[in-house]
Amino acid sequence: MRIRKYDRDFTRRAFLEKSLKGVATAGILSPLWPEIARSGTIDKAYPEELLSIDLYTKGQIKPGDVITADNVEIVKDLLDPIAYRQVKEMGRRITIVETTTDVTKLFPHEYLEATLSNAGKAKFDANGNVVTDNGKPWIGGNPFPDAKTGEEAFYNLTLSWGRHDESVYAVRDWDISPSGSLSYQYDFVWAEQNTTGLVNKSSPYLAGEEDKLRYQAVWFTSPTDAKGTAFLNTWYYDQREFPDLLGYLPAFKRVRNFPTNQRFEPLVPGITIFLSDAWAAGDPMLTWGNYKVIGTKPHLGAVSGNWTGKTNPNWEREVHGGPNGQTFFEDYKELIPEVLVVEAEPIGYPRAPVGKKRVYIDVRNMMFVSYLTYDRRGEIWKSFEPAFSQYQDGDTAYMDGGHPLWSWTHVHSHDVQTNRMSRFVQAKQITGGFGPEYNIGPSVYDKYLTAQAIRRFGT
Amino acid sequence: MTYRWLSLFVLVAITVFFGAQLRNVELRTIFSDLLPSTHPFVQTYKDHPNFGNPLTVTVMIKRTDGEDIYNAETLQKVWNLTRDVDLAPAVDHDQILSVATEKARYSEATPNGIDSRPIMGDHAPRTAEEIEEFRNRLLKSPNVRNFMVSEDETATLITATFIERLLDYGETFEYLDKLVKDARDDKHEIHMAGQPVLTGWVYFYELQMLGIFAVTGLALLVALVVYMRNVVGVVAPLVTSLVAAIWGFGFVGWLGQPIEPLIMVVPLLLVARSFSHCVQFIERYYEVLHHVKNRRRAAEISLSVMMVPGVLGITTDAMGLLLIGVAPIPAMERFALFCGFWAMMLVPTNVLLTPLLIMLLPQPRNVKRMVGEAEDQQRFGGIRLLLRGIGRLSIGRTSVLTALVVGTLAVFSFGKVLGIQVGNPVEGSNLLWEDSEFNVAVSRINSHFPGLNTLEIIFESKSPDSLDRVVRKAETALTMQRLQHMLESQPNPPEASLSFADYLPEANRLFSGGNPKWGPLDHDDAAVSAAAGALMVGTGPKAFLHVADFEQRNGTVSLWYKDNRQATVDEALRQARAALAIVGTEFDDFRIRLGSGTIALQQSINDTVDRYQWVILGLLNAVIFITCSIAYRSAVAGILLLIPVNLSNLFLGAVMTEMGIGLDVNTLPIAAIGVGVGIDYGIYLLSRIYEEYQLRKDMAQAILTAVTTTGKAIFFTATIVLIGILPWYFLSELKFLADMGLLLVMVMLINMVIALIVVPLLVWLIRPRFIESKELLVSEGVDLAALAAEENDETLRKKAAENVKHPKTEMVEVAPVRP
Repeated sequence: MRIRKYDRDFTRRAFLEKSLKGVATAGILSPLWPEIARSGTIDKAYPEELLSIDLYTKGQIKPGDVITADNVEIVKDLLDPIAYRQVKEMGRRITIVETTTDVTKLFPHEYLEATLSNAGKAKFDANGNVVTDNGKPWIGGNPFPDAKTGEEAFYNLTLSWGRHDESVYAVRDWDISPSGSLSYQYDFVWAEQNTTGLVNKSSPYLAGEEDKLRYQAVWFTSPTDAKGTAFLNTWYYDQREFPDLLGYLPAFKRVRNFPTNQRFEPLVPGITIFLSDAWAAGDPMLTWGNYKVIGTKPHLGAVSGNWTGKTNPNWEREVHGGPNGQTFFEDYKELIPEVLVVEAEPIGYPRAPVGKKRVYIDVRNMMFVSYLTYDRRGEIWKSFEPAFSQYQDGDTAYMDGGHPLWSWTHVHSHDVQTNRMSRFVQAKQITGGFGPEYNIGPSVYDKYLTAQAIRRFGT
Repeated sequence: MTYRWLSLFVLVAITVFFGAQLRNVELRTIFSDLLPSTHPFVQTYKDHPNFGNPLTVTVMIKRTDGEDIYNAETLQKVWNLTRDVDLAPAVDHDQILSVATEKARYSEATPNGIDSRPIMGDHAPRTAEEIEEFRNRLLKSPNVRNFMVSEDETATLITATFIERLLDYGETFEYLDKLVKDARDDKHEIHMAGQPVLTGWVYFYELQMLGIFAVTGLALLVALVVYMRNVVGVVAPLVTSLVAAIWGFGFVGWLGQPIEPLIMVVPLLLVARSFSHCVQFIERYYEVLHHVKNRRRAAEISLSVMMVPGVLGITTDAMGLLLIGVAPIPAMERFALFCGFWAMMLVPTNVLLTPLLIMLLPQPRNVKRMVGEAEDQQRFGGIRLLLRGIGRLSIGRTSVLTALVVGTLAVFSFGKVLGIQVGNPVEGSNLLWEDSEFNVAVSRINSHFPGLNTLEIIFESKSPDSLDRVVRKAETALTMQRLQHMLESQPNPPEASLSFADYLPEANRLFSGGNPKWGPLDHDDAAVSAAAGALMVGTGPKAFLHVADFEQRNGTVSLWYKDNRQATVDEALRQARAALAIVGTEFDDFRIRLGSGTIALQQSINDTVDRYQWVILGLLNAVIFITCSIAYRSAVAGILLLIPVNLSNLFLGAVMTEMGIGLDVNTLPIAAIGVGVGIDYGIYLLSRIYEEYQLRKDMAQAILTAVTTTGKAIFFTATIVLIGILPWYFLSELKFLADMGLLLVMVMLINMVIALIVVPLLVWLIRPRFIESKELLVSEGVDLAALAAEENDETLRKKAAENVKHPKTEMVEVAPVRP
C-alpha cells in the first residue's frame, strides 16, 4: 500500500493559506523558480497530487480520459466557468494528458534561457514601466518569472507576446453561429516583431527602436472579399501610450488611421476577437489598472500535446460539439499545479463595454491558459482560451531554429452572451501559400510590418 | 343521483388530476403568436425576424426649453444614458448606438489616407469649443446626423439591441424605465419605445390584471350573496366554477401550452357564465323544492328539467369559443382550446356537480322567500313590469310595429356595417391606450425622426452556401437602390428608406479619397464587395443587422411611413407591389419577399381578421343551426334562433362603426362568443314559450309568461356577466383587455334585448309548427302544482321515484306524474 505524504486536503489548505495571506509566490512545497533554475523541473515544488490528475481526482480521471458532460463535475473546480458550461451544455470534449514537469517544454528555448539569466533584473520606473537595473528597456525573457502581483504577472504577458523575437503565424479561422453553422471563415497572417527584449540576438534592442515594444501586423488572404485587408500596430515601450493603428483595404489603395483607443471592436466581420483580446494582453499594460491577484489554484490548461503535425498535415484539427458538431476543436489539457488568477479593469477606456478581465496564468511559464471578460454589469461575456504546445508529435517535430518550436496551436474565442464562437488554428499553410516563420531576423520588418508592406500584400 | 357518491368520487378524481397539472400552467405573452401564422407577411417575418428591429429599444432625449442638443448639459445626459444603457440586463454591448458611442464616427480623407474617429471624444463636450467641434464632426457624418439627430436639432436618439436568449423583458424594462424616469427633468423629455419596451409595459399591466381579477371576483361574490342569501346558493356556484376553472387551467397545464394573459377577460366570462348556469339551476331547485318538500326529489326533478337546455346552452357557448381556433393565429388557437374546453367542462361541473352539491349542502331556510310570490314581486317587481312591457311588444297588433322597427333598424345597421373599418390603427401599439406612455413615446419619436412604422421588403438569398454573401453582390445592391428610387419617386413617397446599399457609396467615397465623385458604385461585384468591406472595417455585421443579417446573406429595404392608418398602409403596400411588379422578385442569387415590419404585420392581422370573422360566424351559424334543429326537431327553430343572434351581431357592428371601433384581433373572438352565449337566451326563452304554450295553448299568454319568468333569469345572467366584465373596461390600462371587455358587455346586452324582443316576435309572427309538437328534447317547464299533489300521494310518489330510477325516455324525466 502506498501512503501519500500530501493529500488533496493538504493542497487545498495550502492554496487557501496562500490566498488568505496574499502570497502569490509559486510553489507549494518549495518556491518554484529556484527549483526550476536548479533542476529544470517542478517535481519538488508541488505535492504528487498536483502533478497527477489521477491522484488529484482520486482515480476518477486519468491521462487519456476524455472529459464530457458525464464526468465534468469531477473537474469543475479545475475549469473556468465558460469551459465548464461548454462541456456540460454544448457537448465539448477535452482529452486529459500528463502534467508537464519539464519546464523546457513550456518555453521557446531562448526565451527560457533569457528568463533564467535575467531573473531579478527587472523593476518598475516612476511611470510604471518595466526597466532594468540601469533604467533601460527590458532585456528579454519573463521580467518577473516568480510574479507576486497582478502587474508583474501581466508584464510577463505583455512584453513579449509570442516569446520569439520574430513570429509569423499562418492562421485559419472559423466563426460559428449560435445555430452551429459556419458564418465566416478567414485565412490570415499574424506577424510580430519585438523591438526590445530580444532573446535571440546579440543585443536585446533593435537599433533605433528602443522607444517601441513591437510591430505587429495582420493581413487577410482569404476569402476573396477580405483578401489583402491588413492592419498594422505599432506599440510603444511606454505602456501608457496607445499603439498606432493603420488599416489598409486593397480595393481602395488607401491606408486608414483608426482611433487608437478603439480596441473593443472586431477586426473583420463575424469574428468575436477584439484587438484588446490578443494574448490576454492586447492593450498597453498601463491603459488597464486595478490589477490584483484574486487567488491561486490548480487548473486544467491546454499547454502540451496539442500539436498534431504527424496526423494532421496542415496542423488543422478535428471538430465536434455544438448544434452541428463543429463548434469546438479537439484539444488536450493537463493538470496545471498552480495558476495565478489575476483581474484587471480598463481604466483608460471611458467607453469600454468590458468591466474587467480575469486571466488564469500558469506559474510555470507565466503564460495565460484561460482569459475571461465580464461586462460592466459583472456578467460573464467572453472566453479566449488558447492552447499551447511544443511542436513535437512522436518522431515528428517542427523547429524554430535549433529547437522544437513552442507556440500556440489553436484558440477558442467564445462570446457566451451572443453564443458566437470563433476558433482558429496555427496552420502549416493557408491560402496564398503563407506558413509560419520564427526567429527570421530583422527582414521581417520590411517584409511584413510597414505601411508599404501591408499595401504590397493587397496587390 | 342514484350513484351520487360514485359520481362525486369521479368528479373529485378528475379535479385532483387537473389540479396536479396546475403547476405546469404558464401565463406568457408570445407576441409573434398574436400574428396569423399562415399569412405570407408573417411567414416572411418569421423567416427573417431580425428585420424591423424587434429587439431594439429606442430612447429619445428631447430638449424642451427651446435650446438645441448642442449644450454641455444635454450631451452629458446623452453620454450618461448611453453608458447606463450598456449596463442594462441582456443588452448586446456591440449594438448600442448614440452620438456618444464610438460607433458614431466621422471620417475624413487626409493626405496620408482616411482618418476615422468617434464624433464624441472620451467624454461629453464641456466647453463651447468642444461643443462646436462635436457639431462640426456630426455634420461630417451624414448617416449619423440624419438618423440620430432630429432635423430641428432638439432631439437625439440612443438605440440598443438586446440578446433574445438572455432577455427577461420584465427585468430589462424595469431597469430601463427607471433610467428614463430618473433622466427626465424640466429641460428634457425622455421617451422610450421599441418591441422590448412594449413587452415590458404589457407585462407590467398584466400584473395589474391580478388586481382587477380580485375586484371582479369580489363583485361576483357580493352579487351572489346578495341574491341568494343562503349557503347552498353561494357555495354551489363557487365550487362548481372553481372546479371548472381547475379543469380548464389544468388542461392547458397538461398540454404544456402557455396561456395568453391578454385574453384573461374571457375566462372571467366563463366564471360568470358558470355562476349564471348554476344560479339558474338553483333557482329552479328552490322552485321545485318549495313544492315537493324533498331535497333529493327536488334535485332530481331540477336536473331532469334543466339537463337538456343547460347542456345545449353550454355546448353553444363552447362551440363559439372552439370555433375561434379556426383563425390561424396561434394565440387564438390556444385560446380556443383552453376556453372551449373550459366552457365544455361546465356541463359536468354545472349539470352534474351542482345537484350533488345541493344534496350535500344544508337545505336553505329561505326557500319560501326566494320563490314566495309576494316577496318575489317585491324584489323583482320593477323588472317584472319592464319584462311584461317588453313581452307586449311581440304580441298583438304591436307586433307588426315592433317588426317594422326591428326591420328598419336592421336595414340601417346593415348600411352602417358596410362602412365598418378593418383595423384600429393607433400610433404605437393597439394593445395599449392612445395616451399610454408607450404610445405617446412612439408618437413623439415619430414626429422627430423617420419613426417606427416600417415596411420591410426582404431580399432573401437562394444560395445554399452559408458563406455566399448575397447582400454584398452588385445585383443585390443595385436592385435595392432601384427599388428605393422607384418608391421614393412616387407621388406619396415613404418618409425615408434605408438599405445596406445606402451605406456603400459613403464608404466608397471616403476610402477612395473623399471626393464626392467617388460615391457612386461601379456596377460589378468587385466594387460593391470592396465598398462593403470598407464599411465593415473596424466594426462588424452587428452594426448593420437592421439592414442585413449577420452572415450578410439576406437584406432588407426599410421604408418608413408617417403613420399606420389603413389608408397609409394600403397605399404603402400598393406602391410596393407596383414597384416589385416592375423590378421583379426572382433573381439568380436572391428573391424579393413582401414583407415584414409593422406596416405589413398590421395588414396581415387585418386581412386575417376580415376573412376569419366571417368564416367563424358562418361556421358557428351552421353548427347552431344543426344542433338546434335537432333539439327542436325543426329547421324553422334553428333559423328562428339564429335570426336574433345575427341581428345582434349586426347591431353590434353598427354600434362599433358609430363608435369608430374597427375589426381587429381584439374583436375577433367577440362575435363568436356573442353568438355562442346569446343563443342561450334564445334557447331558454323558446323552450319556455314552448312549455307555456303546451300548458295553456294560448300563444300570447305563453309569450308573456316566458318573457317575465325566463326573461328574469336571462336578465340576471346578463347582470352577472356585466358585473364580471365591465370593470375591465374601466380599470384595465391594457386597451386590448378593455376593448374586449367593452365589446363583450355590448354584445351581451344587445343579445339580451334582441332575444327578449325578437324571439317572441318571430314565434308570434311565424307560429312555427314545432311549438305544437309534444315530443321535443328541449323543454324548461314543469307542472309544479302537479308535483306538489304527487308529493302528497304515497302511490304516485313511489311511481315517480321508480320513473326517475328507470327512466323510459327523457320526456318521462321531465314531466311530472299526474294524479
